[in-house]
Amino acid sequence: MNMLTTAMVPTVLATGDPARVDVEIAPKFKAGDKVTVVNLNKVDHNRLPAYIKGKVGTVTFDHGVFVFPDTSAHRKGPKPQHVYTVVFNARDLWGEAGHPRDRMYVDAWDDYLEHAR
Amino acid sequence: MNGIHDVGGKHGFGPVLVEQNEPYFHEEWEGRMLSMMIACFAAGIYNVDQFRHPIEKMDPRHYLMSSYYEKWLCTVEQNCIDAGIVTREEVDARHAQLMKGKAA
Amino acid sequence: MKHDNHSHANVLIPEVGLRVKALESLLAEKKAIDPAALDLIIETFETQMGPKNGAKVVAKAWTDPKYRKWLLEDGTAAIKSLGYIGIQGENMVALENTPSVHNVVVCTLCSCYPWPTLGLPPVWFKSAPYRARVVIEPRSVLKEFGLDVADDVEVRVWDSTAELRYLVIPVRPAGTENLNEQELAALVTRDSMIRTGVAQSPSH
Repeated sequence: MNMLTTAMVPTVLATGDPARVDVEIAPKFKAGDKVTVVNLNKVDHNRLPAYIKGKVGTVTFDHGVFVFPDTSAHRKGPKPQHVYTVVFNARDLWGEAGHPRDRMYVDAWDDYLEHAR
Repeated sequence: MNGIHDVGGKHGFGPVLVEQNEPYFHEEWEGRMLSMMIACFAAGIYNVDQFRHPIEKMDPRHYLMSSYYEKWLCTVEQNCIDAGIVTREEVDARHAQLMKGKAA
Repeated sequence: MKHDNHSHANVLIPEVGLRVKALESLLAEKKAIDPAALDLIIETFETQMGPKNGAKVVAKAWTDPKYRKWLLEDGTAAIKSLGYIGIQGENMVALENTPSVHNVVVCTLCSCYPWPTLGLPPVWFKSAPYRARVVIEPRSVLKEFGLDVADDVEVRVWDSTAELRYLVIPVRPAGTENLNEQELAALVTRDSMIRTGVAQSPSH
């Protein structure tokens, strides 16, 4: 264990934990792709909110390669993969309760998405 | 996990309550908790995902009633126990000792 | 937290501040933490991390078209050039409000927030009501904050589920054409950079 000293504080606060991984990994998706969110129900850690599971959205941006929380939380390695922003129509998520003009943007890892059929 | 933390879209929580001129910390211990969380992260006791998961596993009643920093205490304590740095019994005993000292 | 006396009436940790103190003293004895480093972290947050930083980013974007373009294309690099990248703001994305688009930021699963540009989040941002409601009924939440979004304006809600943190560039208020960057920064409120407010007009 490497105890944080006062001398190290400025660097730690200025660096944090970028979670970005500097490896070349081919993205599974590109901006404009229609995707279906997987219906994941594991008891492990994940970053998939229930309200998008099984829903269809569109990839708007590829943010590059990041550590995968589902494995990282359980000391199973970084399993690096691309993170995308995916946009959903509010009506597709919430039915009549959603405003027809509104959009939801959610960030998702490769493993949370499949090409929509 | 399908934990209590996954609240997006849930009904019934009532209005969003905004505190005017909210202080940075409401109580001194909140600042200690924030800085302890960062110090333990920097010491390599957990990463961001290992930090978040114990919060998701909290008793749902406790999760909903507790403040952000109380949740942090739960996960930092759990992570330090899992890493073998302290035991629950040690924390319980020190906590009891401090409470007794305050009451005296 | 395991407590044998869990009941509906008593689910919170009793004397939670003393339990934090108990844990800190034990970790210090075991040389896992240095209390002096904790003091320095608190001091840094109190003096150097807050919405004043984000306001400088916004004011620069309002006055410098090249910077605005850079900020929208590569938020991390543009914000780093001003020195506001760091813990819980390692990867930044800037979003621009326009007369026809209103952006709102939330973290439904946790309470993620860009610390270097905005400081620590207010309690309402971390609260279950905000996190639950703003995704399904953003317009009524915004209305409670005093912001009536017209029907022809698109509301975009951003849920920061991953390690990207979002900063909203509000619409530059009318009547500010003659203000300089520093004067503009004073008009940018914290809430205008998360979502829920608009920048103040100069008369405020």
